[in-house]
Amino acid sequence: MKKRSTLVYLILVILIIILLLANLMTGSSDISVSLLTDIVLSHSRQDALGVIIWDIRIPRLIEAAFLGGALALSGYLLQSFFANPIAGPYVLGISSGAKLLVAILMVFSYKFFFSMSSLMMVIASFVGSCIAALLVIIVAKKVRNMAVLIVCGVMIGYVCSAATELIVAFADDSNIVNLHNWSMGSFGAASWSNVKIIIPVVVIGMLASFVLSKGISVYMFGEAYASSVGMNIKLFRLMLILVSSLLSAIVTAFAGPISFVGIAVPHLIRSVTKTSDVKTMIGASFLGGAAACLLCDLLARCMFAPMELSVSTITAVFGAPIVIVMLLKRKRDQ
Amino acid sequence: MSEIITRELSVGYDNKSIIEMINLEIKAGKIVVLIGPNGAGKSTILKTVAGLLEPVAGKVFVADKELTKLSPNARAQSIASMMTGRFATEYLTVAEVVAGGRYPYTGLMGKLSDEDRKIIDEALETVGALEQRDKDFARLSDGQKQRVLLARAIAQKPDFMILDEPTSFLDIGYKLSFIDTLRSLAKENNIGILMSLHELEMAYRVADMVVCINKQGTIDRIGTAKEVFNNQYIESLFDVKPGMLKGSYRFADTNNPAAQIRAKLANPKAHFIMVQGTMSSAGKSLVVAGLCRIFKQDGYRVAPFKSQNMALNSFITEDGLEMGRAQVMQAEAAGVKPSVYMNPILLKPTSDSGSQIIVNGKVRGNMKARDYFEYKTELVPDILAAVEELQKQADIIVIEGAGSPAEINLKSNDIVNMGMAAMVDAPVLLVGDIDRGGVFAQLLGTIELLDEEERSRVKGLIVNKFRGDKTILDPGIDMLEERSGIPVAGVLPYMRLQLEDEDSLSEKFDRRSDAAIKVGVIRLPHIANFTDFDVFEQLEEIGIHYISHIKDIESMDLVIIPGSKNTIADMIWLKESGLESAIKKYSAQGRPVIGICGGYQMLGEKISDPLGVENGGEVVGLGLLPVETVLTGEKHRSQVSGRFVKPTGILAQMAGLAYEGYEIHMGETRCIDSALEAFTDSGSGYCRANVWGSYVHGLFDSEEVIKKLARILAQQKGIDIKLDHVMDYRSRKEQEYDELAATMREYMDMDMIYDFIGVKNDKAGTV
Repeated sequence: MKKRSTLVYLILVILIIILLLANLMTGSSDISVSLLTDIVLSHSRQDALGVIIWDIRIPRLIEAAFLGGALALSGYLLQSFFANPIAGPYVLGISSGAKLLVAILMVFSYKFFFSMSSLMMVIASFVGSCIAALLVIIVAKKVRNMAVLIVCGVMIGYVCSAATELIVAFADDSNIVNLHNWSMGSFGAASWSNVKIIIPVVVIGMLASFVLSKGISVYMFGEAYASSVGMNIKLFRLMLILVSSLLSAIVTAFAGPISFVGIAVPHLIRSVTKTSDVKTMIGASFLGGAAACLLCDLLARCMFAPMELSVSTITAVFGAPIVIVMLLKRKRDQ
Repeated sequence: MSEIITRELSVGYDNKSIIEMINLEIKAGKIVVLIGPNGAGKSTILKTVAGLLEPVAGKVFVADKELTKLSPNARAQSIASMMTGRFATEYLTVAEVVAGGRYPYTGLMGKLSDEDRKIIDEALETVGALEQRDKDFARLSDGQKQRVLLARAIAQKPDFMILDEPTSFLDIGYKLSFIDTLRSLAKENNIGILMSLHELEMAYRVADMVVCINKQGTIDRIGTAKEVFNNQYIESLFDVKPGMLKGSYRFADTNNPAAQIRAKLANPKAHFIMVQGTMSSAGKSLVVAGLCRIFKQDGYRVAPFKSQNMALNSFITEDGLEMGRAQVMQAEAAGVKPSVYMNPILLKPTSDSGSQIIVNGKVRGNMKARDYFEYKTELVPDILAAVEELQKQADIIVIEGAGSPAEINLKSNDIVNMGMAAMVDAPVLLVGDIDRGGVFAQLLGTIELLDEEERSRVKGLIVNKFRGDKTILDPGIDMLEERSGIPVAGVLPYMRLQLEDEDSLSEKFDRRSDAAIKVGVIRLPHIANFTDFDVFEQLEEIGIHYISHIKDIESMDLVIIPGSKNTIADMIWLKESGLESAIKKYSAQGRPVIGICGGYQMLGEKISDPLGVENGGEVVGLGLLPVETVLTGEKHRSQVSGRFVKPTGILAQMAGLAYEGYEIHMGETRCIDSALEAFTDSGSGYCRANVWGSYVHGLFDSEEVIKKLARILAQQKGIDIKLDHVMDYRSRKEQEYDELAATMREYMDMDMIYDFIGVKNDKAGTV
């Protein structure tokens, strides 16, 4: 790895540690560093603070870190797939597809009185992601144009959101609130049981991405080129779309759709590392996504405390300008 | 050898073909360039051959393996491609771009080994871009980028490269250096290259073979740049107003038909097999005849072919055209009518160093051997045109070579052995003659003297004329296969067949027969059409003796003076050798003398050559018949049938018998004594007492005639002959062809041979 990339990695790790600490310490009750060390080291849940730290803040920051990383990675994979720098699970409607299926599942679970496990959420979300991704791919096959692709993704997103609204409209009052909160995007529902699913799924997605890195390194020059150096295109495409769907699905299942992280983070990472080396990008995007979500979650919780904003609000505020700058810069380069 | 071959390939998108019936080959170390107007479909061909697009129909073979059956990785290790389209990169170094070429070689995670890095650097060095290794690819100029992309393809370590308009955006300096890099890649790394080019100058500079695709999507020229590029054709190919090209390019003004014909040949392609020998009389002609018969029996349409025959014996086809007899015999074996296209070039030696050149049946003139050696490459279009004609009527064309393919002094301009094989890309069977000894040295020595490309054409060896215990031979065969790396396709036994011999070198001149009735044929130095006498060999009681000494004449029961390619020279020879007076003496005793064609002319009073058709001058004949011959420039040839008119002397009984034959001569013979009786029809022959002369070849071929003649001779001699097993010459030959085929099937691996030809034999004649 190049020096510059190593430096970026180092900075990201430090940033994450700082953000972890900040996340642990700030909130409804601010906790000092010494107290925090005590609680963390003693594993004590005796008092309220212990419970806040152990059962609320720690799972929440683990979730924010892993899901943020997954989101950025998913965005990076999709960008590679579509050879399109503004692709990401959110703009392509993949998150919305996942949301729709999760919403359907939620409503059904209340109607038919079965309790919804986290795993079922993940599966529903995954299926939704895959369906949406498939739709986008079909469009991408027909029209090889960046803008059209994005517009289609956004449209698919709107259709899915509308359908979700429709379902919500017919849902029982009791779960509307729940559903609404979730669909805005939030790490608020974090719990250890969720973390137990999130970590393995994200780790699998991450490892799979590394395996795909060899392919991505040639696929980014187009299918014809990748095929000419001996890639099994069909298998690779399938794998790539499954992995990116899985990663975005796990995010949507537990935190709802979160915008812009998927697009903005890989782009930022690329412009600071100044490399397109796939393995560097995979690792750095993941760390960058984790840092971004930790930061955004921190802001969402603290900015107007005690009121908590949805994470998407914050990510949009930061992410959208980055994407706009990126587009302008590309325009200039051409 | 490794090569890419497309067979009846159709390319296109969505199952709709744009170009059909593409039969190309890209050999290791050779550069094939596609040229043609925009939108002709060049890129589509390239993509399909590179394996990036599924063929609509037909197949692509890479080093004998079908392309679509290769794994993507295996394919990428063999073929590297560089298609059009810009390479948009961001923050990628040149080395990282080139590293893409190592994709098929690295492991699951794509980690580069030190070896990989070395190869990347070498590739960059090859294209002269090593100092740019760590630069940002996106910031390079188009010319530099293209060089780096070529390095990427080189790093793939392919056997073949496929490039789509690689020089299009480059300035002239980059163009030239790019093209020269390709040239040296082909030469030094033995890489086969297929590419499209728009710049004709570049194609001219680099292409070993140019393939032109016109607007309609048909391949209408295949040839060297020299053959293809002429102003007229290029103008029509690119829709340029006539005359506009003139001056801009230094192309020829005249159209060379070779490239056009080659394109037609490739489409649809017949299957070829070629039989070459280690020496003359190794048995090529018979092996070809046998193969023809076998393929015919298996249901294929077959045609024999030999680009050039050097023989005194010629045959006249129904159209009155002249061709070598060996191909006539092979055509009979193949069960088809002989045609001049089976033997487009016929050389008839007229003197020790000169020959008459007959091309596609027509006399092209006399030439000295040295002049012909220079001239013969100009006959390539005629040869290809003949092959093209044959393709219309044959699934398999069996080609016969001539002499030895290893005559290293003659190889450069060859059009009859390996040069011929290359022209039509035929697999070669090499036949050695064990009977004359040294068969292993013959075969291995011949192979040793071939260059690599030629050697790769030799697919199988044949040991011919073997007699004895095969088990003793077997270890030698194993060693032969081991040393040559070429399988032995068969060990053929010595076959006693009476099929017509090819040329005067045949051993039958030395044969001695102890049959009761002796027929003497004067062995003229320029003897021609001596197959006239093969008919006698079916009679056990008659022995043919070729006479070159006066002492041999006395014991003959009949003397025949055969045809000659140089009547005057042979007449002089008769005088010098003393045979003239011997024949006169023989005739003076009232014994029978027959002259055929040239021999007939010699029987006359004189032969004159006022126009210098032969060597000019005039010569006094034997004076046995009162006729005079004047040689005229015009060649008389035709197939004739008629009846014996009024034979005199002992042949009187033959009057009224029918004959079928042919005439071929360059002279008019006039009867100068009105008392002379006609021997054959229409003034073609006269006779007096026991001297008969006629222009008709094949006079004795019919069963009736030969039997009658034999009876008369027996009667004269006072012996009894049975003649009950005399079979019609034709049906006897048919039987012999079948025998030949049966023997060859028994001793040869026909499956192997079908495999060489690329035909899956199902005995149903499907190709």
